[in-house]
Amino acid sequence: MKLTPGTPDALAPGLRSLSYGIFCWANRNPGALRKIGWVLRRWPFVGGWFGMAARASAVKAVLTRPNSFSNTAHAGNLSAGDYLIGMDPGPTYAADKSLLDDRLADLDLKLPADADAEVKRLVNELGALGKNKPFDLIDKYLMWIVLRAMDPLFGAATPRVAAGVNGNINDPGLQKQYMMEIRYVAGQLLAGSTATLRVQRRAELNSDALKARIAAVRTDIENAWNVHGRSADFIDRNAVGLAWISHPVTVQSGALAVQELLGRPEVHKALREEARRLQQIGPDEVWQNKAFRTSVYNHVLELMRFRPIFPLLARDVPRDTEFVTGARHNATCPAGGKMAIWSISAMFDPDVTKDIKPFKDISQFCPTRNWGNQADLRWLMFGYGTRQCPAMKYAVEILTSALIGLLILPELKLARGEGKAIAYDGALMSRMLVNFI
Amino acid sequence: MLEMVRQQMICIVVPGWEGTTELAENGPVFTGLEDLLRKVDVVQFASVALLPARADAEEETPSLMMELAIEEGIDPYDMLYRLICHPSEAMWALYRSYWPDGGPPLQSERNRQLLDKLMPCLSIADGGFIGARDRTARQIEKEQALLQWTRGQARALKATGQCGDDRAAFALALAQRAFQNPSFDWALEPAPRSYWRGKGASTSTKIGFVVGAFVLGLVAVWLVGAVPRGAVGLWTWLFGAPHPDVLVVVAFISKASRWVLGVSLRTALVVLVVLYFGWLFLVALPALFKSWRLWLESLWRELDRPTETWSSWSTYWVGWLVVVPLALAVVAFAMVFIFCPRIILDAYHAATKELYGWQIVALVLLALVALIVFVNVFSKVNQRVAKTGNWFFHPYEDDVPRAQQVHASIDRCEGQLVGGTAHMISLTDLRSPNGWSAWWIRTSLRIVTFAGRVFFTEGRLGTAPGIHFGHWHIIEGGRRYLFCSNYDGSFGGYLDDFINGATIGTTLAWRWTTLKPRGSAGAGPAVDKPRSFPPTRFGVFRGVKCELKFKSYARDSMLPHLYRFDKCKTPVDQIILATGLRDALFGERNDRNDDLIMRAIES
Repeated sequence: MKLTPGTPDALAPGLRSLSYGIFCWANRNPGALRKIGWVLRRWPFVGGWFGMAARASAVKAVLTRPNSFSNTAHAGNLSAGDYLIGMDPGPTYAADKSLLDDRLADLDLKLPADADAEVKRLVNELGALGKNKPFDLIDKYLMWIVLRAMDPLFGAATPRVAAGVNGNINDPGLQKQYMMEIRYVAGQLLAGSTATLRVQRRAELNSDALKARIAAVRTDIENAWNVHGRSADFIDRNAVGLAWISHPVTVQSGALAVQELLGRPEVHKALREEARRLQQIGPDEVWQNKAFRTSVYNHVLELMRFRPIFPLLARDVPRDTEFVTGARHNATCPAGGKMAIWSISAMFDPDVTKDIKPFKDISQFCPTRNWGNQADLRWLMFGYGTRQCPAMKYAVEILTSALIGLLILPELKLARGEGKAIAYDGALMSRMLVNFI
Repeated sequence: MLEMVRQQMICIVVPGWEGTTELAENGPVFTGLEDLLRKVDVVQFASVALLPARADAEEETPSLMMELAIEEGIDPYDMLYRLICHPSEAMWALYRSYWPDGGPPLQSERNRQLLDKLMPCLSIADGGFIGARDRTARQIEKEQALLQWTRGQARALKATGQCGDDRAAFALALAQRAFQNPSFDWALEPAPRSYWRGKGASTSTKIGFVVGAFVLGLVAVWLVGAVPRGAVGLWTWLFGAPHPDVLVVVAFISKASRWVLGVSLRTALVVLVVLYFGWLFLVALPALFKSWRLWLESLWRELDRPTETWSSWSTYWVGWLVVVPLALAVVAFAMVFIFCPRIILDAYHAATKELYGWQIVALVLLALVALIVFVNVFSKVNQRVAKTGNWFFHPYEDDVPRAQQVHASIDRCEGQLVGGTAHMISLTDLRSPNGWSAWWIRTSLRIVTFAGRVFFTEGRLGTAPGIHFGHWHIIEGGRRYLFCSNYDGSFGGYLDDFINGATIGTTLAWRWTTLKPRGSAGAGPAVDKPRSFPPTRFGVFRGVKCELKFKSYARDSMLPHLYRFDKCKTPVDQIILATGLRDALFGERNDRNDDLIMRAIES
């Protein structure tokens, strides 16, 4: 069911805030979700009662049955209109997917060079800040890296998309306005139907703004994508979808990864030591050393495993079916209902790696873990199977560049003394104040 | 809950208007604003007006006021951000005269500075009422299109004569046509309804909500005491007695929990008793005894009587001398019962320890007989006084000292809106002391807003129909009181609805105001002589019942608008009708829905 713009809240006063509060708290505390996930893995029949898949085998099985467990569960939360993530396979899906693949192919040519270039620029800028001067890591660093790295998605139309049809393309404030706009649209995908009316309406307002923005620069996008002759609906749908899903999700994932890293001082220290050693060899060595890049890449993935942006996923159940939970009996799913996928639990399922040598406890942080034939599970935060996020490798590549930049800057810590360093806006992290030590 | 309603009605009052921007009705600033508000699509009404400065204000320049009535759930910051950051820069065009040097060159910087300037001047309503709730502007427009289409189809169907006089068949045929029209796919879902118009609409649900919340609260308080008690018991059973300090703390928590439980239960009992007596005296007795009903009506009439007569004068003073002390005594008794019930019990035991039970019963009966005798004597005296002559009920003061003149600018604005949704801006001053008046107004407005949100959910405030968005703001640090209303019909009829309908709420909301002399702003009217809100009795009676005085006061407080935006231009009744038609056409076929369809096409 599509989200109806401006639908009033039919829940009793207080219930919405309560359920949204619990949802946001759970999103901010993945440790708690992991513990519940442990319970659901240990006694999978409990998850079965509530239509929840928690074991890795169960999650994989569900995600490889897109016809029985449909992505349309996302459609209600796409406040800016339909897009690939909320569609069932079909002609529209195929056409949109083909366009997306073309756009990502362009990204292939420019990464990680573009991301590295922007990181270097920001490293110089932030390096001049000095110690104990707090700055917002999202606002001053991550947002811009992802924006520049994803330039090829809109090609020559990028400046117009970011500045608006009449805006000055050299006005960074307008670009920031664009990034805020898409952040709230993406936030609705995360918050889902539990969101309070205020959050939903904000997403709708920003969706309207984004759609108007894209419609106004449609010709620029059409030329940049070379999709002459395609309908305005096709261009708008894909441009709007691509805008809100690419940038904010990557930025949030980056912020969550940094949050996790700062909570692991030994890991952080070891990475910084390695970066410093390479810098002593040569100023560009951190960027060119493949082993180091691979190591940071693995760290990013492991950090995201511990703090995924989508710890839980929902799926629509279009017809009566059941799924294997791992318990004695399968869980039944009545048609028209929904079921939940505990990705965060599946990524910590010890059954996955118990026979792999050398054995490493899956609940421990270990970027170099041998996943054996289960390597695809480390990408579970991006989905699984045919509906896995097609841009996941690019996202991790961009975040790798961003993390390398942070490693060569003076050591970071969360800023203290001026309120909370991390501010949340519902389930989203809206600010991450850090300073150099 | 109330904040969400209040946030739908915004006034941005920016002082220091120098008047260098061209604000002509069809000038580029207002056409740009019109275009912006249409595109943004969530603003249902908007207006711009100049508010004259107070006579004692340091700054003599007027304030530029922008009123926005927006859809539910939107945070005012988000709304303002969206309006200001729109690529058209229409908001900047309106406010740019606040930057005499032209403002910063970068658009984003201009947006930021404008946002920083307007946010502190933004005021959400202190209270308000929304008639056509739970509807977006887009929904209203679509449902109006459905209504027009249905009427057209009904005419065509009638011309064919295929349904004859069978109303059910006629409604069914219309529903089938609507169902087969793909452009009405959106109507397949029932019109959205918020909780108080949906699941929470019934009285039993509302009572259940209150009782449920109360019981949950009691359970929580009980748990606060019971959990530590249980933990200590378990610990003692497992390991022996815990540290004495722990026992002291647990005993304190347990005692506090019990005290709160006791106070809560006694409060609930007091509320129930008050409700019972309220029901007994105001509902049951009037229904059983005609004399009691007549007496109550007469009491109400005297208190609400617009003119001063000896009858109303004596009723008022009897109220002060008898009812007020009695009410205070009841409140004091209730407080003592809630917080120190032991005092009442001790006093009762002390007073009755020398008496036998039959003596107590006899005393109670005696008191009842005395009360009945007193009421009868009072009634006889009352009737005799009434018969002594009409002088007792004749007014002894004039109503309005002069004929009312309406300023030309107000006339012009009202003339422009004839046939559409009318609009009113009223600016008054708060009575001194401002803080006291502001507190009372806010309290009254919260009650009005709550009642509008929870009880008056179908487009009428009390019995007053036709209000789209009516909102009150206390502005300028509690010195002034701004009222903006978007309503159907004419000014006189609109105020008549309040005078005859929501009397108490309107009196409560206005009685703390006065009208001080002030200059004019632009082409608007000035106030030359101070005026007062009509006198009230016990704060809630009379007031707006002084019709001419009230209308004259309201007229003198009015200001003209410079610009007006009305997204849908549809009366409240029409909006409600169209929503009902949508649900009836696409709902199940039954007599009620058939009747609704027929009424919609026939009205």
